[in-house]
Amino acid sequence: MAKVQVLNVAVLDNPSPFRNPFQFEITFECMEDLPEDLEWKIIYVGSAESEEYDQVLDSVLVGPVPAGRHMFVFQADAPNTGLIPESDAVGVTVVLITCTYRGQEFIRIGYYVNNEYTDPELRENPPVKPDYTQLQRNILASNPRVTRFHINWEATMEKMEDSENVDPAPNAMLPPTSMPGKAPPLGLMPDNSMDCL
Amino acid sequence: MAPVLREEDEKNENIPKLLCQMDNHLACVNCVRWSNNGLYLASGGDDKLVMVWKRAAFIGPSTMFGSSSKLANVEQWRCVMILRNHTGDVMDVAWSPHDVWLASCSVDNTIVIWNARKFPEIVMTLKGHTGLVKGLTWDPVGKYIASQADDHSLKVWRTMDWQMETNITKPFSECGGTTHVLRLSWSPDGQYLVSAHAMNNSGPTAQIIERDGWKTNMDFVGHRKAVTVVKFNPKIFKKKQKNGSTPKPSCPYCCCAVGSKDRSLSVWLTSLKRPLVVIHDLFDKSIMDITWTLNGLGLLVCSMDGTVAFLDFSQDELGDPLNEEEKNAIHQNIYGKSLAITMESHLSSTIIENPEMLKYQQERQGNQNPNGAQGSSHENQTAKLTNVLNGESLEDIRKNLLKKQVETRTADGRRRITPLCIAQLDTGDFSPALFNSVPILPGSSTSTQLTPQISSDSSTANSLGLRPSHDPTTTSPNKTAEENKDSGPAAVNSIGMKSNLLLTSASKIEPMKALDSRFTERSKATPGVTSVPLTIGITPLDRVKDSSSVKEPKGKDETSSDSEDKGMVKSLSMAKRKGEMEGAEVVEKRKKGRPRKDAKMMMPISQPFPQTPVSAEKEPSRLTTPVAVLKLPTPSIQKSFSTQVSTDAITYLEVENEVSVVSGARLSQLKWSREGREWDMLLTSRIIIATGSSDVVAVACEDRTLSVFTTCGRRLIPSIILSAPMSALHCSGHFVMALMASATLSVWDVQKQTALVKNESLNPILSGTDATVSQSFLTQQGVPVVSLSNGKTYCFNSSLETWNLIADKQDSLVQCADFRNCLTSQDALGSMGPLALTQSRNLSAGRLASRFSSTPHHLQQGMTLAFLENQLSSALILLSASEYRHWLLIYARFLVNEGYEQRLRELCQDLLGPVHKSSSSSWEPTVLGLRKRDLLTEVMPVIGQNLRFQRLFTEYQDQLELLRLK
Repeated sequence: MAKVQVLNVAVLDNPSPFRNPFQFEITFECMEDLPEDLEWKIIYVGSAESEEYDQVLDSVLVGPVPAGRHMFVFQADAPNTGLIPESDAVGVTVVLITCTYRGQEFIRIGYYVNNEYTDPELRENPPVKPDYTQLQRNILASNPRVTRFHINWEATMEKMEDSENVDPAPNAMLPPTSMPGKAPPLGLMPDNSMDCL
Repeated sequence: MAPVLREEDEKNENIPKLLCQMDNHLACVNCVRWSNNGLYLASGGDDKLVMVWKRAAFIGPSTMFGSSSKLANVEQWRCVMILRNHTGDVMDVAWSPHDVWLASCSVDNTIVIWNARKFPEIVMTLKGHTGLVKGLTWDPVGKYIASQADDHSLKVWRTMDWQMETNITKPFSECGGTTHVLRLSWSPDGQYLVSAHAMNNSGPTAQIIERDGWKTNMDFVGHRKAVTVVKFNPKIFKKKQKNGSTPKPSCPYCCCAVGSKDRSLSVWLTSLKRPLVVIHDLFDKSIMDITWTLNGLGLLVCSMDGTVAFLDFSQDELGDPLNEEEKNAIHQNIYGKSLAITMESHLSSTIIENPEMLKYQQERQGNQNPNGAQGSSHENQTAKLTNVLNGESLEDIRKNLLKKQVETRTADGRRRITPLCIAQLDTGDFSPALFNSVPILPGSSTSTQLTPQISSDSSTANSLGLRPSHDPTTTSPNKTAEENKDSGPAAVNSIGMKSNLLLTSASKIEPMKALDSRFTERSKATPGVTSVPLTIGITPLDRVKDSSSVKEPKGKDETSSDSEDKGMVKSLSMAKRKGEMEGAEVVEKRKKGRPRKDAKMMMPISQPFPQTPVSAEKEPSRLTTPVAVLKLPTPSIQKSFSTQVSTDAITYLEVENEVSVVSGARLSQLKWSREGREWDMLLTSRIIIATGSSDVVAVACEDRTLSVFTTCGRRLIPSIILSAPMSALHCSGHFVMALMASATLSVWDVQKQTALVKNESLNPILSGTDATVSQSFLTQQGVPVVSLSNGKTYCFNSSLETWNLIADKQDSLVQCADFRNCLTSQDALGSMGPLALTQSRNLSAGRLASRFSSTPHHLQQGMTLAFLENQLSSALILLSASEYRHWLLIYARFLVNEGYEQRLRELCQDLLGPVHKSSSSSWEPTVLGLRKRDLLTEVMPVIGQNLRFQRLFTEYQDQLELLRLK
């Protein structure tokens, strides 16, 4: 079982202008003292079409982690607009928070992000070239998609056999590989598909 | 349970339905079971793990992160322990009575017994099944655990030594195909074990196995497909009394639910020949697990199809459930010990009347988990911490977290955030202290109803359990005491169990080793001599007896050197035994020379000996030191031997016969050395046996004289002329014991220069048997002990002038006495003393013999009582104070456990004596130098452990107090 359980992620400063940094307040619990740091990443999915446009907004080490409940705020700059395909700038995309321990990813939290113009006029007639200053980022904080992976928490143990990276939650919303690339339109997601179990 | 029972509650949105969802298992969960105290939940799954869950008391309702908000976890259950050992899917888990152990079985064909008080310690892995083990059940009395597997067998294992008690295969031989689970069940009265999937006349059945002899004569028939689950109602019922009818005494019966692959469920009463009810097609798929509510009237059944059914019974249908007291009475009747102190729930109404009693109960608890108090207070602190940290509320912290959190750069320039610790884990370390500590009752606001944890999810619905409810009454001091008690005795039990395991193994091994080394010695020393192992250790005296005439051992000279050797070896083994006792090694050599008629004063004066050199040469005097307890320099000097005597300081006795030849005379030299000091003594006759204690040295010579010296070499008494040649000679303290070839025994106190035992014949113990003396020794108190080859050991009591039997290998009492529960960890180390020495082998046999499960309990109880009383009196007659104390405490504990009030009272009365001095009283204030009242003070805490004796406790505690003040 995972030694680290993510208890909560609060999305701060949401909704906010597109260029504001992302802020996630992460609360997690650790079963026992971890000898190594956890590495957290925020990945912005630039385009649902291809992973090519994924941007790692930031990665941060968190440690030391003794047994207990901890929290921290993970802040990362807004994505580099230059790397986002213009056609995908407005609309629904995904931001991912991942955590790895000893280089193994054990949790992936996905949020749908809706980028839209606040100005109704712009909304009606969006400019060809996206105007990022006018874009508002709205993270669907109430609906995180959590995928957990079984990893080897011990340094000494041999590599986990078959169970490695088997998705433990069969009805979690997306297989991790396809998730960044193919975010379905927000409205199509049934509410209850969020269950991890 | 309310929303399950009542529709309006189900519709009421304010009543939580799903209390907690735990998603830590990585694969299908096969089984969940609540611990008997309701505090823990164990789950086993296809991820090969067993997880133990505990309610985290201080975390308010929160959502499982990532799950949809509607399914907030009302209760927080945290995985406190992951048990990793199985190499395959875990199919079933089971808590033992009193939650001492947790058993899990797996498709890896093994059953693992976990120490539930010290997770993740493994007590034992039960191996023996050759197929997937798919079901487990504990005997409600705690004596056995039964398992059923795909290998067409049901095995019953003993919890005492974790060996297989019986293997039942016959009813399962026809079983074809497999079921997902084979959950068997033991009836609450312990008398019947009912298996899952069995076959009778090619029809699927649930086999009933009787505890008595493991007979398989009955079964539950009727299901069309294999039986997957059997579950006994936890209650024992008696017939419902009809209004107006005269109450007739009726036999209590049990109730059993049987679920099958045929998707139907049947409920049986053991008093009826036909099922009480059969529900066909209850589910779309096979039944996976069944559980009863604690009150015995509700039944929850889950199926492979992902649904759970609830069945509600009325008392009219099932009968009147017996209350815990009556149930205990039944247990007590059948098994006696039932749980007098091990199950004290029936005492919950007992009020502790005496603060001392309360103190003992609490102390006991405190001793068992010294961290307990700290643990809970710590928990309380964390509780506060959750909400307030350094005077700041969590909200404040959150507001400023970004500013306040420590962020550094690592060497490679990466950001590193030190997370803010907002709470320590309240159940982070799974210490026994926490396990045993007073439970924080799950939200007192929730009703006293059962809180079922049912997940509608198909992956978790494979199994279900019911958590015993807790009375959410306020925690009064009384209550605390009860809780303490509840966890206390079980812990005592486990300790007792463990120590006893230790003991058996130790006592099992030791004699074996001793025997082994004796065998090897023997084969080394006397190649070619074939004699039955039983006769090893017979002193030459026996051979004299064998030839049925006590004649001069003159002829012995003519016997082959083989037999000489044999004699030596025999005395060797004897010496070795003695060595074991004294913790030192004794090497002796004895020679049988032509007895000298002219017994001279043994002074180092040169005097011609009438001895012929021929006879001297005939006698081999070489001896090799046996390699055993201690390594000794091997004295290989011809015609000499050395002995190590005395325990405290290493003392050697060296004997060299025929050393100096002064004008043709031969003298024998006795050398004594201790830590550099040494002296030597010359004797005129050749020395047969030399032995010594810390106080004296005794030497028996060929010319039938016995000389006794102080440890400085001063002769204490002129040579004692013996009536017959010396057979065995022992020293202990300032006592000297001589066993003559004429089968007479003498014991002298050389300090007081008195005879304790005067030429006492061994006839009373030897006559009528063909037994021979196999061992003899002298206790520190000067009590001579003689063991015979028939396993009996006697000591001679000089005040009664009688031989007393103190140990008998064949004694059936020894075989059947079962007092393991009364052993504490200190006791497990065993008592050291003469009694233990004579009984060491017997005792191990006795422990093993208690496997005879068929012995009715009351009989065994009686035998144990008799055995303990024998031990006590034997220790008394051996004047072995430490052993007397040892057995007294065990005896007291046994009396307390089994509830022998009269004897306990008598014991206390004897120890206390008259409170007011009167001249007529013949009461001795001491026994074996131990003050009786001190002993009573030691016994008091033992009595204090059983609340049933609190009046007795109070009575004697008060009197002791009174005496102390005087």
